[in-house]
Amino acid sequence: MKHALALLLVTLTHFSLLGQNEPSDSTQTNPRLLNMVVVTATRTPRLLMEVPVVTRIITEQDIKNADVPTLQDLLQTELPGIEFTYAMNQQVSLNMQGFGGNSVLFLVDGERLAGETLDNIDYSRLNLDAVQRVEIIKGAASSLYGSNAVGGVVNLITRTTDRPWSLHLGSRISSLKDRHHYGSFGIKRQRWNSLTDLHYIDAAAVHLSDTGDLRTLFANSSFNASERFHINMSDKMTITGRAGYFFRQREKSEEADDRYRDFSAGLKGDFELGRNSDLMISYAFDQYDKSDYSVASRLDVRNYSNVQHTFRTLCNHTVKSPSDTAVILGSLTFGGDLMRDYLMSYQFTDGNHTQYTADAFAQWDWHPTSRLNIVAALRYDYYSEATMSHLSPKVNLMYKLPQVNFRVGYANGFRAPTLKEMFMNFDMANIFIIYGNPDLRPEVSDNLNASVEWSHNQYNLTCMAFHNHVKNRITTFWNQERNGMVYSNMSPVSITGLDISLAMHWSNGLGLRLSYILTHESPEEDGMRASATRPHTATLCIDYSRDWCLGHTTLALNGRLLSSVTCDEYTSYSNLSQFEEITYPGYTLWRLTLRHSFSRGVYLNATVDNLFNYRPNYYYNNSPATTGRTLALGLSLDIDQCFSNCKEK
Amino acid sequence: MLALVSCDGLFGGLYDEPAKNPFGFVQRDDDNRGGTLCIDATSYTRWTYIDLHHHHIDTANITLGQEAPLEWDFAIHHYDVKTNNGSAAESPFDNVGMAIELNGLDFVADADSQVVIDMSTMMDGYLGYTPSMVNPVLSHWLDVDLSTMPPIYTLSNKVYLLRLNDGTLIALQFTSYMDESFVKGIVTLRYRIIND
Repeated sequence: MKHALALLLVTLTHFSLLGQNEPSDSTQTNPRLLNMVVVTATRTPRLLMEVPVVTRIITEQDIKNADVPTLQDLLQTELPGIEFTYAMNQQVSLNMQGFGGNSVLFLVDGERLAGETLDNIDYSRLNLDAVQRVEIIKGAASSLYGSNAVGGVVNLITRTTDRPWSLHLGSRISSLKDRHHYGSFGIKRQRWNSLTDLHYIDAAAVHLSDTGDLRTLFANSSFNASERFHINMSDKMTITGRAGYFFRQREKSEEADDRYRDFSAGLKGDFELGRNSDLMISYAFDQYDKSDYSVASRLDVRNYSNVQHTFRTLCNHTVKSPSDTAVILGSLTFGGDLMRDYLMSYQFTDGNHTQYTADAFAQWDWHPTSRLNIVAALRYDYYSEATMSHLSPKVNLMYKLPQVNFRVGYANGFRAPTLKEMFMNFDMANIFIIYGNPDLRPEVSDNLNASVEWSHNQYNLTCMAFHNHVKNRITTFWNQERNGMVYSNMSPVSITGLDISLAMHWSNGLGLRLSYILTHESPEEDGMRASATRPHTATLCIDYSRDWCLGHTTLALNGRLLSSVTCDEYTSYSNLSQFEEITYPGYTLWRLTLRHSFSRGVYLNATVDNLFNYRPNYYYNNSPATTGRTLALGLSLDIDQCFSNCKEK
Repeated sequence: MLALVSCDGLFGGLYDEPAKNPFGFVQRDDDNRGGTLCIDATSYTRWTYIDLHHHHIDTANITLGQEAPLEWDFAIHHYDVKTNNGSAAESPFDNVGMAIELNGLDFVADADSQVVIDMSTMMDGYLGYTPSMVNPVLSHWLDVDLSTMPPIYTLSNKVYLLRLNDGTLIALQFTSYMDESFVKGIVTLRYRIIND
């Protein structure tokens, strides 16, 4: 494998010497991207280079170059420290630097997502084809986003159209018989614009092994449709509307399929209040349903429905120097949310439950000098059914020198007990009962981080050290008196690590990006190593782009390297003193993508996934679900560009 | 838009309401001496005894030491099946209404075995069993592969021939192991008394 890699590197370098073209944007730490505007870190538009919180960006070009159909694949390709594995019943489960799916907040344009399965949202709801960029904040962010932002925030920013009309169609097939079809249609007029996205994925069942924990992956198909429109009512008022529908079917057995649906809608008004202030008011609706479909009787029986209504207001006020209005002293951001959270579940025996949450937050973004930026925020959250409230503070500081930025920060994160965790009463196939616990305390994390970022011409290096102290993590423990599992709070956990990213882009079109994360999670109970978080993870991307007579070509090699991890697992659920050591092997996966853009808006993609044909000896739930090397081919068309090119000619 | 959305959600009409399962002889075809049975076999501590001649169903709790009724033809414990001193054979047919050819069928009597009565220790690596007679052929109507989570259930869809102690021949076909709400352990089967 090493020889093949070396050969590939030499080949890429050779081609790079031939090319004399602009570098691509395909790196999140490309110095050119430091001038990109991001919104997640402070809930206000800020240049990436001026944000006091380290923010990772996956750009639209990165998404195209990665040539992956799902968000899980994209995040794992682009960022180390992220691992999507399977939990019971082949449900997808996230581990992001020691934090599970319920401790990382996923947002779409800043809005939460309803529904969960085994503590994870339905990641297949997130339609990559509609995404312009992904912003990732690692570390607690509850002072701005409230519950669940314990270990990080992943915010998907959707596309808007900037052409009078646009029609994009695409299709991708793989040697595993997976199919991926998508399309979008946009219109832009002087006062309004609209963008409609359609997205369909059909993944065939895959037989992995006869003896592993993972044997045959269920067949899955999903359909996603969304519509977004913006109306400029005046120079000072913009209305944004959206609506979406999602459907997924999983062929669990010959008799029954699992079905998942989501209905979402939202209305938002942005108002400019004078020269220094703006106001946003929004309403969001999100309903996530699960149902069982009987193949024989064709009955579709709903067993879960989570419905969230959220009202939000957000105000930004810029404070300028009284003596010189060109000098901005700082900005004040404040707002609040009111949410009604309704849950019907087959795991309840005492009827459905509803919770109201309310919060208020304020953030002061202060620029005492041209080099120093201090951001401090405080948020108060209240939960009606949990009858709890929480204060989440944060403070971030950035000091800028020529070519070097220093950042330090403290942030508090929390996760309120969910309705499921408080009120579950579920008979697990006559094996045991899982009981909810209304007396649960919220999970709380204290996050400290310090980073140095160096940028010079085509080079960028970021080193960040982080430490998280997490208290009251919520999980299930065996309760001898009740003869079942009961949701309970855990002993404190510490997660410490180092995050290093290096990016280089040369004018000849060659780019290199290397990211490495060291994660150390402290023991939880009596020296038991319960964490299956891999201590060393890295991603590597080498890409090369050049223009030539037939268009623009990008060749990218992406590598994902994960170390082994040894942990202790219980052998008895009713006797927590019995556990055994287990080692999950490390592995590397490599993907080679060739993308060619013809001048008339025609794009061809060819991807060899699992380039070196890795297959696990035993398929654990956290093994890569691969059967070896696969090939995928994709074709996409920008119909409007085809027309415009024809006219030009 | 606010008027369009309901507090507790939309599109309830997309879904079906599961029928409340009637248990027992849910369908009778006296002309053909057949019908359909639905048995609540969710409990691991209960045998359900079926008397097809008198259309009667009775239960007995294993852990309480309750005895079987005086008259019964076969009994179901979760997915286990036993006969009343009878024997059974698996046929190649897939419909109880078909003409049954007995040549070549191998009738097997009940054998000493054990049935699960306590699943609560499963996560500790073992199950609670009690000795019991079980018919190994009839109990093949459903294959439960517990090596993966969740278990994989596979119906044989075969017609089984039950020969009672008095020589009566009955065709049985198990059609489902769960109800419309996908509750496992609700057993539905078709039967036809072929001859007395």
